[in-house]
Amino acid sequence: MGEHASYERLVFKNASVYHYMKIDLILESEDKRLNAAHFKQLIISALRDLYGEIGAAFPFDVLKFEEDTLTAVLRVYNSGLVKLWSALTLLGSYHSEPCAVRVTQVSPFLLALSGNSRELELD
Amino acid sequence: MFTNLEKCPRNLLVCEKSSFLNEKSRHDIHVAKHFFNYKVSILIPECGIIPSFLSSVVNGFSKYYLVRDLPLHKLLEDEFLEKVVKTGSLYALSYKTRIDQDNTFAILPTGQVILSVDKDTYEELGLEGKASQYNHRQPMRYVVTIDMTDKSLAPGGKRYKRVMWALKEKVQLTSDFLLARYSIGGDEEGLLQSCLSQYSCKELRPSVSTQTLRDLLCPSLDPADLRRDARSHDPQQFLEWLGTVTMDMSSNNEATSFVSTYCCPEPQSSMSQALVYTVTGLLLPEDIHSLLKELRRYFDEPRFTSWLSMTVHGFADSPISWGSTEHGFHKGGENFYTFVIFKNQDYWLHMATGANDGCPP
Repeated sequence: MGEHASYERLVFKNASVYHYMKIDLILESEDKRLNAAHFKQLIISALRDLYGEIGAAFPFDVLKFEEDTLTAVLRVYNSGLVKLWSALTLLGSYHSEPCAVRVTQVSPFLLALSGNSRELELD
Repeated sequence: MFTNLEKCPRNLLVCEKSSFLNEKSRHDIHVAKHFFNYKVSILIPECGIIPSFLSSVVNGFSKYYLVRDLPLHKLLEDEFLEKVVKTGSLYALSYKTRIDQDNTFAILPTGQVILSVDKDTYEELGLEGKASQYNHRQPMRYVVTIDMTDKSLAPGGKRYKRVMWALKEKVQLTSDFLLARYSIGGDEEGLLQSCLSQYSCKELRPSVSTQTLRDLLCPSLDPADLRRDARSHDPQQFLEWLGTVTMDMSSNNEATSFVSTYCCPEPQSSMSQALVYTVTGLLLPEDIHSLLKELRRYFDEPRFTSWLSMTVHGFADSPISWGSTEHGFHKGGENFYTFVIFKNQDYWLHMATGANDGCPP
């Protein structure tokens, strides 16, 4: 046999620059349709309402948006997490209709969002 | 202006590079010590259907049981201890109990019983424990560890009686439990069921799902280059990419796109298809170890890919993560590991934990 890879161990503390959020949008009436761009615009306006033009000026991505279930995965720089989260919590209306955002899971690792044991239903 | 809003809880990522052929390789220990596994997801590039030898390993995964309203002391009774706990590896974890608000219990295959309880229960219980590491100013949660293999805890003895008295008469701790027992022969099927026949006991098999993805971008991997300092993408970027693939997200966005600017890390190559195979349930480390062994065999035949990956997610609400290191939830309770297995039997192992967790081993 040839040479095996030599052992190497690296420990990263707080190395992830992003946090990822899995969220649900809950609308009062079910007939409203919105796409990923509408959804992002909704969040941006919520951020502006809470933190103003300057405070809301940070980037985030909508990595995934499912139009039929209104669930989304967001990616945000660590420095923007608290602001984004608080704006989502206080988001209360879409086109003058009451709505809410439920945060299902938050993690510094995107991979963690693909395995949430709290979703295990055995009945 | 908002600087104090910019802080985040800590997270840890440990990356190891080694070879399965190295005598001192610790991959098996890492797998064996991660006791409560919720989900395994395997990504095989350039593969359309799951090879039969892999699906047969998964079909052979141990059954597990969901037992309703089971008093904890039942699991520590003399007979159960002798028949089940001390003779094989028993895994028990309370089901639908949240580690950040409820009382959570676990029995490890080593014979240790771990109770993570709130302050009131702890004080009523009167068993010796210690304050959780992840309390705020005031301890609100305590962890009691009882080692049933300890000689001083032999049934009939003073300490054993005290434990049983606390769990039976002081506070009757009851919960729904997920239970599984690893036995090589499988000759003891139904042993758990017969011991717990008074309770509603449901036999479950791990559930399996398969997904085929087409035309995706993939970062080019070099087994020797874990650190990735020579080129551009680091382990975080690779794990992020793996996340986008397992969750079927678009990884080819323009930098100017309004919705998402995520892009597969460079240097990249394209993949015509990939298979994502997931198994969910209470999965035992022994079974995961045999799956890992089979995955290594995948490269015995010529393949179009030079690597594949296996990610194992732990239960977010388990009181421990690796070994008996205390685990908490904080924001997500994440504890998972990913093996990237290369053709030449080299591997990368990434182990990640969130804020309320010790450093992976």
